[in-house]
Amino acid sequence: MARQDTAGSVALDRHGTGRRFRVTRRRRDALMLAAPLVVFLGLWLGFPFLTNLVYSVSEVNFETLRAPSFIGLDNYARAIQDSAFWAAMGFSLRFAVAATLAQVLLGLVIALALRPLLVRHKALMALILLPLMISPALIGVMYRLILNEFVGVVPQYLAMVGLYPNLLGPDWVFATVVAIEVLQWTPFAILLLFTALQNIPTELYDAARVDGAGPWQCFWRITLPLLVPGLAITAFVRFIDSFRVFDHIFVLTGGGPGSLTTSVSIYIYRSFFQQQQLGSAVATSMVLLVLSLAALYASMRLMLRKGEA
Amino acid sequence: MTRRVGTIGWALRWALFAVVVLVFNLPIIMTVVTALKPTAVINASPPQWLFVPTLDHFVTVLTDRAVDFPLYLFNSTVIALGGTLLALVLSIPAAYAIARYGIGKRTVLPLVANLRAIPLVIFAIPFYLMYQVMGLLDTRTGLIIIACIINLPVALLFAVGMIQDLPIEIEEAARVDGAGTLTVLWRIVVPLAQPMILALAILSFIYAWNEFLFGLILTTRDAVPVTVGATFFTTSWGVRWGPIAAAATLSVLPPMVLGLLCYRYLGRALTAGAIKG
Repeated sequence: MARQDTAGSVALDRHGTGRRFRVTRRRRDALMLAAPLVVFLGLWLGFPFLTNLVYSVSEVNFETLRAPSFIGLDNYARAIQDSAFWAAMGFSLRFAVAATLAQVLLGLVIALALRPLLVRHKALMALILLPLMISPALIGVMYRLILNEFVGVVPQYLAMVGLYPNLLGPDWVFATVVAIEVLQWTPFAILLLFTALQNIPTELYDAARVDGAGPWQCFWRITLPLLVPGLAITAFVRFIDSFRVFDHIFVLTGGGPGSLTTSVSIYIYRSFFQQQQLGSAVATSMVLLVLSLAALYASMRLMLRKGEA
Repeated sequence: MTRRVGTIGWALRWALFAVVVLVFNLPIIMTVVTALKPTAVINASPPQWLFVPTLDHFVTVLTDRAVDFPLYLFNSTVIALGGTLLALVLSIPAAYAIARYGIGKRTVLPLVANLRAIPLVIFAIPFYLMYQVMGLLDTRTGLIIIACIINLPVALLFAVGMIQDLPIEIEEAARVDGAGTLTVLWRIVVPLAQPMILALAILSFIYAWNEFLFGLILTTRDAVPVTVGATFFTTSWGVRWGPIAAAATLSVLPPMVLGLLCYRYLGRALTAGAIKG
C-alpha cells in the first residue's frame, strides 16, 4: 500500500505492481468525475422524493408545512378511491394510445413515401422537423388562434362549406387535442423511421429482386420485419411523452369542458394549485410514480425479451 | 414508359411533401401571418391573404406596460443557457466515467435514463414546497435547476454514446505521456467530440426554452419564461389576436432559428437520444 503513494511513473507499469496502482488511481479519478452528477441528482431528486413520501402520509396544509402530523395511509386511500383520478388516468391512456398509433402509422407512411426525396435533398428534412422546435404550450396558443370561431382559419373555411362544428366542444374536443399532438410530433416519428429505413442494407433488396420478388413482397418480407425495432422505439418514446401531456391541452382547454380533457398531469396540477389538497395531491403523485415505474419495468422486460428472441 | 412513371412519382412526392409541410406547420404559418396583419384584416371573414404587412403588433408586445415581454425573453434566454451549460458540465464528465470506466453503468445510467419516462408533474408539488422554503420561487436560478434536470437524461445517454464512439487509442497515448484523467477529458475528448457536444447543446437549449409546466408553477412575476408569458397575453388581452400572435412569434423565434440552422445536428441528437434510451 505504501508503495502506491510514491509510484505513478509510467516506468512502473512494466512491472505487475504498477498496473494495479494506475487502475485504482484512475478509478478514483473516474469516481470524482461522476460525483457532481450523483450529488446534484441526489439532492434535487432525493429531497422532492422524501418530501412526497413524508407529506403523503401526513395531515398537512400550507400553514403546517414544517410540522405535518402523521395520519398513516389515509391520503393514499383517498387518492385510490378518487374516481376523478381514474378518469384522468383513463383520459391520459386513451389520449396516449390514440396519439401514438396515429403518429407511428402516419410517420411510417410519410417516411416510406418521401424517402427518395429526403435522400436526394437532405435539407428538406429541416422543414419537416420544424414543429419539434416549438414549445407545446405555444402550439396551444397558436391553435387557440386557428380554432377561434371568429378569426380562426379552420372554422372560417369549414363555415364556407356549411360546416359549423365546435371543435373545442364536448363532441370534438378529444379528437382535436389528439390531432394537435399528432400534428406536432409525427415529424419525430418520420425522423426516427426514416433513419431506421436508411439503416436497412440495400443488398437485401438487390438479392430479393434477383430472386424475383416484387415491391410488395420486398415491403412485407424485408422492410417491415427489419423496421420492427424502429417502430417499437418510436411508439415507446411517443407513448411516454403523450401520456404525461400537459402543455397544449392546458393552454387550449384548461382540462375542460368540464373535465373531459383532464389528463393526469392536469389533474395533479389542479388538485394542488386550485384546491390546495396537499396530502392527497402528493399521495396521488406517489401512486402515479409507482404506476409509471411498474409500466416502465414491464415494457423494458418485454422489449428485452423480444430483443433476445 | 418507366421514365414517365418516374416523373409522375417524383411529382407526387413533391406534392405530398408540400402538403405535409403545410399541414404540420399550419400553426406557425398562421401565427406569423396574423402577427403581420393589420387589426382590421385579422377580423375579416373570409380570411384575407393579401395585405400590407405591419410591425405594429410587435411594437405593442415589446412596449406594453401590463406585460413585461422583454423581461420574459431575457428570462428564457438565461434559463435555457444556464440549464444547458449546467447539464453539459454535469453529464459529460459522468458520461466519461461511465463509458471508459464502467462506473455507474448499472446504477446511475439506468436511473437517469428512466427519469425521462416519468411524468414530471410528480415532482411539481415538492419542488414548489422546497423552493418556497429555500427562497427559490420565482427566481431564474430555480428554473435553471429544473431545466438542467429535464435535460440530464438525454444529455447523459447522448454523451455516453458519443464517448463510446471516440477512438480510445488517442486517450491511451496521452495517458502514456503522463496526462491525468481531467487533462485527457478536457484536452482530447472534448475537442474531438465538439460537433456532438454542439448538437447536444442545441437540443438542450430548445428543450429548456420550451419548458412550460414548471415555469407556470414556480414563477409569478420576476422569472416568468416566454412560454408562460405568451399565455398571459391570451388571458389578459382577450381578443387582441394581433399582439397575441406577435408574442407567440417572438417566443418561438430563438429555438426555431437555432434548430433550422443546425437541423442536421439536431436530427442526429434526436435520433441518438431516442435510440440509446
